Amino acid sequence: MKHTFLGYERPDGAVGVRNAVAVVSVMDNCNPVTRAVAQAVHGTVYLPGSYIRGQLGRDRQITLQATAGLCLNPNIAGVVLIGLEPRTTEELRALVAPSGKPVEAVDIQIAGGTIAAIAHGTRAAARIVRKVSAQRRTEFDLSRLRLGLECGGSDTTSGLASNPAIGVVTDRVIEAGGQAIITETSEFFGAEHLFAERAVDAAVRERFLSEITGLEQQIMALGIDLRGSNPTPDNIRGGLSTIEEKALGAMAKAGSAPLTAVLTYGESPRRPGLHFMAGPAPAVESITGLAAGGCQICLFSTGVGNPIGHPVSTVIKVSGNRNTLDGFSDNVDFDVSGIVERNQALDDAGSQLFDYLLAVASGELTTSEILDTRESAISRFGPSM
Amino acid sequence: MARAIVLHAADNVATLVDPGSKGEKVQLSGKGKGEAVLAADIPFGHKLATRAIARGEPILKYGKTIGSATGAIAAGEHVHVHNVEALRARGDKREAS
Repeated sequence: MKHTFLGYERPDGAVGVRNAVAVVSVMDNCNPVTRAVAQAVHGTVYLPGSYIRGQLGRDRQITLQATAGLCLNPNIAGVVLIGLEPRTTEELRALVAPSGKPVEAVDIQIAGGTIAAIAHGTRAAARIVRKVSAQRRTEFDLSRLRLGLECGGSDTTSGLASNPAIGVVTDRVIEAGGQAIITETSEFFGAEHLFAERAVDAAVRERFLSEITGLEQQIMALGIDLRGSNPTPDNIRGGLSTIEEKALGAMAKAGSAPLTAVLTYGESPRRPGLHFMAGPAPAVESITGLAAGGCQICLFSTGVGNPIGHPVSTVIKVSGNRNTLDGFSDNVDFDVSGIVERNQALDDAGSQLFDYLLAVASGELTTSEILDTRESAISRFGPSM
Repeated sequence: MARAIVLHAADNVATLVDPGSKGEKVQLSGKGKGEAVLAADIPFGHKLATRAIARGEPILKYGKTIGSATGAIAAGEHVHVHNVEALRARGDKREAS
């Protein structure tokens, strides 16, 4: 059976599951103007800037590319850049413009301060929202979907139920010719040998293993005990004792497909199939990397409960913990507790989650969108100067 | 009776999917069969030892090593951060290794 969803085609051929206009800070000192513009105009999402000013080399490049990646995500129909000065703004615009999406820019120094910049930005956002609101959803093959795979607030039910149920969906999307990205480098400590076996060739295997061992060597060189941060206090409360236990459960999100390629933080895949993105484990930074890598939807597994979503990539919260589904239900989208509580077959729970994924891809809103519990932050990879 | 899931035949722990009290019987399912008796109060989602585990012995879940016992653990005991340590990313132990 051929699976489809109703999406928005972009000028570059990508297909969005949402039709938002991004109001984006070029750098962090623009955030108050950006926030005011996004609040003033319906149909926009607020993307705060992270640093840029003072960043150097690879660190600056990753921030700039990831910011561009968020604008290039197919869920974004148009872009308003809020900058301080034109040079950096134009640098970002040059990365976004080839997509063919409408892009307007306002620079606070040139506009004449915050009040004028907010006025210019608000009019620009209103123009673009009016224009893109004319677009209608049309039917697309599932192969056009790129899934992000994330877990946060994990516990032992994550490994028993929500991660493997997500793995069933991942396999289906990849079988249909789509893409999926798993990330969170440190959450492979203790499971990497199993995942490495799935690499399509020796080069991909080596690249994957070097990301894992490289991070572990950094931790060792610093003399840090990872137990100070991972598993987190709530992971431990949820019964997870070690990073190895967490990793063996987390890997199940990636289903059983071969590992096609390894990506840097915020990088977009170029081929179908399963990808690994090197990146940090905390959810906000992690889903921001996945959104910058073009994932229209993130399947987010949670055990004890994590409320956060992302303004660009639609987040689906999946839990198999009956206590969380009972006491944290405002922030959970999908219940797979039947796997734990009623011996529900994994394939059965995965099939139901797959149907829900298609409904969300076609426009059904998720809890983090409805409650606007959304946040975006790009990771840092070096110090400011 | 509280329920616990064994994920692999080689495992020496089971995951409780109900809260359990000291002295309570636990029904094992999944790759494990029979019953265990809890030697401590154990919360929902936490692990119990399905057999005696010696100090330094690997803790096995999913059939894989998830850490090492920091002391002797009796069958039915709570297996968690108080008696298990991670073996990976232990920069604090680099001098010893």
